[in-house]
Amino acid sequence: MLLPGLFVSPFMKEKNMNLYVGKLLVVDLTKKKISTEPLCQEWIRQYWGSWGLALRYYWDAVDPEVDPLSANNVIVIMTGPFSGTLMPLTSRLSLVSKSPHTGTIFTSNVGGAFGPELKYAGYDGLIIKGASDSPVYLKIIDDQVSLEDASALMGKGIFETEECLEAAVGFTGAKTLAIGPAAENLITYSMIGSESYRQFGRGGTGALFGSKNLKAVVCKGSKSVQVADMAKFIERVTHYKTENLFTEDNLWANSDGTAVLVDATNEMGIHPTRNYTAGISEQKDTLNSDAIKAAKLSDRACAGCPLGCGKFTRIGETEVEGPEYETLCLGGSNCEVHDLEAVIKYNRSCDDLGLDTMSCGSTISMAMEMAESGRHDFGLKFGDAEEYLKVVEEIANLSTERGRDLAMGAKKLAEKYHSADLSMEVKGLELPAYEPRGNYGMGLAYATSERGACHLRAFTIFSETPFDIETQVQDVIEAQNFNGIKWSMCYCDFWGSINTEITAELLTVGLGEEVTAAELDQAGERIWNLSRLFNQRIGFTSKDDNLPGKVLKNPLKKGPNAGKTFNSEDFSAALQFYYKLRGWDEQGQPGAAKLAELGLDQL
Amino acid sequence: MNKMLFADPDKCTGCNRCTYVCSAVKTGQFAPSRAHIQINNFPHKGFAAPSICFQCPGAPCHKACPANAISRNADDVVVVDAEKCTACGNCVTACPYGMIEQNEQKVAYKCDCCDGDPACVKECFSGALVFQEKTPALVKIKGLQMKQRATEGLPAEKRHQLGKALLLLSRD
Repeated sequence: MLLPGLFVSPFMKEKNMNLYVGKLLVVDLTKKKISTEPLCQEWIRQYWGSWGLALRYYWDAVDPEVDPLSANNVIVIMTGPFSGTLMPLTSRLSLVSKSPHTGTIFTSNVGGAFGPELKYAGYDGLIIKGASDSPVYLKIIDDQVSLEDASALMGKGIFETEECLEAAVGFTGAKTLAIGPAAENLITYSMIGSESYRQFGRGGTGALFGSKNLKAVVCKGSKSVQVADMAKFIERVTHYKTENLFTEDNLWANSDGTAVLVDATNEMGIHPTRNYTAGISEQKDTLNSDAIKAAKLSDRACAGCPLGCGKFTRIGETEVEGPEYETLCLGGSNCEVHDLEAVIKYNRSCDDLGLDTMSCGSTISMAMEMAESGRHDFGLKFGDAEEYLKVVEEIANLSTERGRDLAMGAKKLAEKYHSADLSMEVKGLELPAYEPRGNYGMGLAYATSERGACHLRAFTIFSETPFDIETQVQDVIEAQNFNGIKWSMCYCDFWGSINTEITAELLTVGLGEEVTAAELDQAGERIWNLSRLFNQRIGFTSKDDNLPGKVLKNPLKKGPNAGKTFNSEDFSAALQFYYKLRGWDEQGQPGAAKLAELGLDQL
Repeated sequence: MNKMLFADPDKCTGCNRCTYVCSAVKTGQFAPSRAHIQINNFPHKGFAAPSICFQCPGAPCHKACPANAISRNADDVVVVDAEKCTACGNCVTACPYGMIEQNEQKVAYKCDCCDGDPACVKECFSGALVFQEKTPALVKIKGLQMKQRATEGLPAEKRHQLGKALLLLSRD
């Protein structure tokens, strides 16, 4: 049945590489210059795509000491080899730059459909340099690329900006990346939104656009992605979709979405509650998967994903896609807001104004604890949903003193009010919603991630030995290396059973060149080490691979892990073992032998 | 009874696997812009509506063709004979759903249900697309969609109008 009536049209004459376009779009906002350049062939087989390739390009583009919000900083946005193909769960898009929130290098990725659209427009990636002297948006309609005046869009939320852009370009279904007022105000945990409810969420991506006076990118593509052997590619994709993707490991995403983690993390005793005071929420049923299902209007999917984990909900007049697990916890139980309608409003407000729901929620919960413990009264109390919703707007618009305070994020807010003991962050990035005192692997993952506390580098919550340091360290390293390649292939986290063997086979069929799992495994480790090198050159040392004081010192309350800490002695031992297994010295510096093995010794 | 393609927007997640596989099968490349099925996606409202060819009885594209290039085959599917097509574009103007278009050589192309085994249906995990004999429920869904006729605009604009109308019907 496949390929009946295949005809050759002029449409097919523009012969690209297989799986890649082979071309990058480079935009210099200072000079208002738009150009293209060929994709570096040498780097493809070392870095593969998305995170890896963006990282390699970024490495060459800046001095590590660059001020993240200066015109000298560069933003690299990259698709992957499978973007825009039938290979499922590969539509994510990575951004690499230096974070204004942490001062580290970082990558953040977004789902939705912008990635494939950029590739259909004829570009593997987008490099943004300089800064515009007036507000602009970047318009990409295949080969027609221009910078347009965005003055009329300034101050608008992400939702309205998207609507205006679709009207302005005159194409239905154009895809956008856009910022809201929070990013225009350079809030360091502001984000870039896409398709209303999807984000380059963490690390202050929005402020990067804001600092460059770039309000948005809008894209419409009508070209194609080619593979070496289409019939075989479809046959192999179908095989692994059926045999590997549609299995118990992954189908929770279809049936429940991330809200399934509310019950799971409570059962494990790692569900942050009351600014990481307790490991369970006694009112979890108000925000769990059943509560989401009761409010659900539809299932939503990113481009090319059959699972459709997005649960579009409505309570009263308020609609949102989600809330996802991190928001349900960090904007819910961690603030003791046990009301789904309030969390939906919080989620929608952050998505529109342009704030990371995680960092924002964690900063608010810390402010609530500061008020409760008499450090400073922000007029915020645990469980007071009305004030919590008000303060989100005050943060984004910098419209009140408490809004300006909380806009700094947990670390700087704690510094200002002498409350470092209450701040839940690593390298300035607020913790995700998995309590490290109940799972040491997550603690180690937070401490060693290139961008500060992050759950997308290693995710050990399902480990059967969460307090066994040896296995936790090994699991964390294995996951970090694997995720190096996973985010470079643009896979979604929720294809939990994908591996480098399947990936190598599909790359081989798609490229028409032999690719091995071993070279992909090594690329993952290479990517991890290169990020580490960048941070070392900025001046980050092992001292920065740390955990919040609460985790090290304060016994967790409630649930199966009540009384537990991840004490400094155990943590230091874990960290040293981690460095050793990585081939790094005691200061966490990658050793010469490791760098030579990974081909990084000349950088 | 012949099997027919039906689309239920309330089950569509907007994933576009149908357009990916359709373009791959029909052009040999992944190029959703060239698929013979299209998805009207409204992310902000959490809604997506497939645009499919309804293989209309008394098909306007068929009637508008001056060259007898469009006909109805034994499976009751409206098909284009690319050899006979004179590239006039009358069929594109005539279709009220934006579901027949022209390629770079201006030759018309449209959904032919893959000779009775549509690739799009096999990719639709949510069950929004089905290829089967008609049932009263499916006929009702199809009838609602077929009422959303657009006489003006490019095919993409006609499809968008259908999507917007179905969004209103679904969420009211």
